[in-house]
Amino acid sequence: MPPSIHPVDLVATLRQRHLTPAIIFLTSRRACDEAMQSFERSQVTLPKTQQEQIARVLAQVIEQYPSIAEHPLIETVQRIGVAAHHAGHLPSWKIAVEELMRTGSLDAVFATTTLAAGVDFPARTVVVTQSSIRKARDFTDLTASEIQQLAGRAGRRGKDLVGFAVITPSPYIDLTVLTKGLTGQPEAIHSQFVITYPMVLNLLKAHPREQIQSILAKSFAQFQLNQRTAVLETKLDGLRAEMEPFGPRVCSDWITQWQVFEQARKRKKPRSPFAKQESPEIAARMHFLTPGRVVGLVRGRGIILRQYRSKGQHAPMVTLLREGGSLNECPASIVTQVFDRTFDCEEASSYPWCTAQSLDQLTHHLADLPPRLPILPILTHQNEEAPLDSSIVQTLGDFACPTCPSRQACQRDFPRASRVRQEIQRHMKSIQALQTSLWHRFQERIDVLERFGYLNAQAQLTADGEWARLIRIDHSLLITELIRAEAFGAIDPPLLAAVMASIAHDDDRPGSFPRGSAGLVTLLFQVRKLAESLAPHETPPMLRADVAALTERWVADQALTWIGLARLTTMAEGDMFRLFARTIEFLSQLKTLKSTHPSLAESAEKAIAAMRRGVLEELP
Amino acid sequence: MTTHELEALLLQQPVALLHRLARGRISRHFRSGKRKLVDLLLQASAENRPGLESDLLALIDERTSREQATPASKPRPAAPHTRPAPPQAGQRPHKAEEHGHHEPPVSLHEWLSGLGVPSPQPFVPDTWQVEALARLAETDVVVSVPTGSGKTYVAIEATKRAMQDNRTVIYTSPLKALSNTKFTEFSRLFGPGQVGILTGDRREHAQAPLLIMTTEILRNLLYDAAGGEIDVRLDTLGLVIMDESQYLADPERGVVWEETLIFCPAQARLLLLSASIGNPQDIADWLTAIRPTPCSLIRHTKRSVPLRAGYLHPNEKLTPLFRTAGIPYGQPYLLHPEAKRLFAEYEEETGSSRSR
Repeated sequence: MPPSIHPVDLVATLRQRHLTPAIIFLTSRRACDEAMQSFERSQVTLPKTQQEQIARVLAQVIEQYPSIAEHPLIETVQRIGVAAHHAGHLPSWKIAVEELMRTGSLDAVFATTTLAAGVDFPARTVVVTQSSIRKARDFTDLTASEIQQLAGRAGRRGKDLVGFAVITPSPYIDLTVLTKGLTGQPEAIHSQFVITYPMVLNLLKAHPREQIQSILAKSFAQFQLNQRTAVLETKLDGLRAEMEPFGPRVCSDWITQWQVFEQARKRKKPRSPFAKQESPEIAARMHFLTPGRVVGLVRGRGIILRQYRSKGQHAPMVTLLREGGSLNECPASIVTQVFDRTFDCEEASSYPWCTAQSLDQLTHHLADLPPRLPILPILTHQNEEAPLDSSIVQTLGDFACPTCPSRQACQRDFPRASRVRQEIQRHMKSIQALQTSLWHRFQERIDVLERFGYLNAQAQLTADGEWARLIRIDHSLLITELIRAEAFGAIDPPLLAAVMASIAHDDDRPGSFPRGSAGLVTLLFQVRKLAESLAPHETPPMLRADVAALTERWVADQALTWIGLARLTTMAEGDMFRLFARTIEFLSQLKTLKSTHPSLAESAEKAIAAMRRGVLEELP
Repeated sequence: MTTHELEALLLQQPVALLHRLARGRISRHFRSGKRKLVDLLLQASAENRPGLESDLLALIDERTSREQATPASKPRPAAPHTRPAPPQAGQRPHKAEEHGHHEPPVSLHEWLSGLGVPSPQPFVPDTWQVEALARLAETDVVVSVPTGSGKTYVAIEATKRAMQDNRTVIYTSPLKALSNTKFTEFSRLFGPGQVGILTGDRREHAQAPLLIMTTEILRNLLYDAAGGEIDVRLDTLGLVIMDESQYLADPERGVVWEETLIFCPAQARLLLLSASIGNPQDIADWLTAIRPTPCSLIRHTKRSVPLRAGYLHPNEKLTPLFRTAGIPYGQPYLLHPEAKRLFAEYEEETGSSRSR
């Protein structure tokens, strides 16, 4: 059996069962394109009347968007009545396909699942071939909402009595996910409130800091946090009721009292013999017993070759080269003096723990040593025993507990009572956190903006803050910092557009492009350095050099046509369009800085004008 | 439980249960057939055998309790004594008996029978559409209905009414492409001069009574208004329509929807159009809490064109997906026996070929 049905057979089956027009959702753009290619090879052709209808509708759309006229797929679409619709296509082409579907001229459209919301046209049948989609480089199961959104396109009001959602298996399909999604309730939605730098600047422009907390309290995020708080509070009430029987006894806070008593009692217990501590003198000396060090022994002198711990007792040990050339393994306590003299010693990983050459040298050095050597004074820290013991209590005699009448009850109830009390404290902390988390995050942003000089100590906008608040896009901090660093001093429009494109583009689909100019490469290097330095405060953009170079070419070379540009790269037309549209959006934000940064605004305006030609002119 | 016992018990379970068990333990577990899946499960939880056992037992418990609950909650007095004896343990029970469904599964012919074009009828708005419009006269409205129910009709009617009162209407959509589609559609409907579109830097008919923009643009307008740069359009603003407002939960852009709703001028009515979501009441409650006017919720789950689900085998065989012709809401296990058989066959074959 084939792993999945062949697209041509699929459409043939749908046609035969009168289940067309259909939208067929496939995993990827490539799958859609391959499906189209398989039709190109097939012999199926539509009846003349339907072909004519498609031509008629297309002619209407071409009137509005002339760029479609030369689209390479037109012929195939007309011949077979099937089209692909995905983000790799130009918006104008997608509009054409949507129009064809709306007029009922096509039999099937292959679309990607990723952008179900972008597929805004109905059909009689929807075909689903997968149960998971790629989200941020990972495959996740479709949610019930998403499945219903897909299936929801089936059944056109006024044109169909029923709509059909047909599942056809492909590798990686999990039928349970789909049946549950079709029959289940859509998921609840959750607030995705984040505090952005432009938000902070714009709020502080309009409101004093004192009012901000009440504004944040109006967010859906806080509304949902409050719902969680309410749940926690009911739990807290329950816990408090559970705590009731553990009220004050002989002492008002018996839980703490018992806890301290228990701790003190445990500390009193003798330590295990293995945890024997070496004397402070030896401990302090150990730091100096490094390979090559000359030391004085009970008898004679020696040079340390290595320091280690014995296997069983974990006692400090050294390997010594003694006068006369003998090698000894001895406990560190054999060292009586540490001399202020070391020799180079090339360490090795096995006996004799140094290279033969340096062993030779060391033996010579040891023989040649003068009789008197300066002794290193070694400071020992007397007794660093845990101070807790004495700070809590010297003796257990200070506690009333051993003779207290409620001792039995305390001992019995303590584990449960202390657990309940911990729970209560944890809940109270979470409630506190839920109620103030937004405000804390806001304050963190204020601190950052203050450090960069967009806000003064009173959280009012500085002169820089006044214009920076007009940059209301992703990576706003990077862009405003670039402006302040005068990276865009007297920048040419192509270069400006290129940099903005690399900041704006957040797609990681690979593409290949001509290299950028030398100026662009240097500028991008600076931008990347700045972005990395800002990384703790703002996630750096991808800063792809290839999209920057492509944008530079488009702006600089006014004679370049869209098709010519598309030939320079492997990027899909739709991606190119989105890149430029987003770049124009970013540039238009720079244009608003006319009063404070006139030359930059002018450059941005020129860049926009230069970018807007060909297909980019067709859509508002 | 020894490994052999565990293996035997796992092999007795239906594949669906094994998949549930495999979730979080094995990635891409749906690629493998049953036998392979059991092996993988045992392999993956070699270190945590008790965890696997307890999860398995919990799933079996849940299953048996549901099986007992379903027939009890749906007594069928017509044939109480014909119910077959409870299936033997270890033997895979038949789903139909399990859930007390005695009707034969729908045939392909029946399933396809509704297919066709309805006779043209004069347009009559649905009750929910009428109700939404009526409520909008008094309160803000959140609409949460399935895709394709006719939300646009409500938007158009509400716009007409606001325009009659000489109020400005702002219509926001999440995607530029949708804005463009709506711009074309509304221009056709209201006349080209009546509709404007605002994007990042382009303004067409910016003074028109109906303005279409992305939500980001509206948020920026509201920022400017709050900062003291009053935009005339906001003075006469009577209605804000937010299409696809389930974008409120979009990880990247959701915050813009929240900001827009928080700063939306008090005198403007809000109309939120959303696909079916799980908690529309929360949104309505939230808006009631933060805005001077209360907010009503219009919600229904019934599709205006009924939906049927089918299964198409790679060998071009088409069968209904569920035992019933329509979608059995809340009962995902009511699979059509034929679809189930074919899919099991598919998993069996492709699973083995893929594990090579």
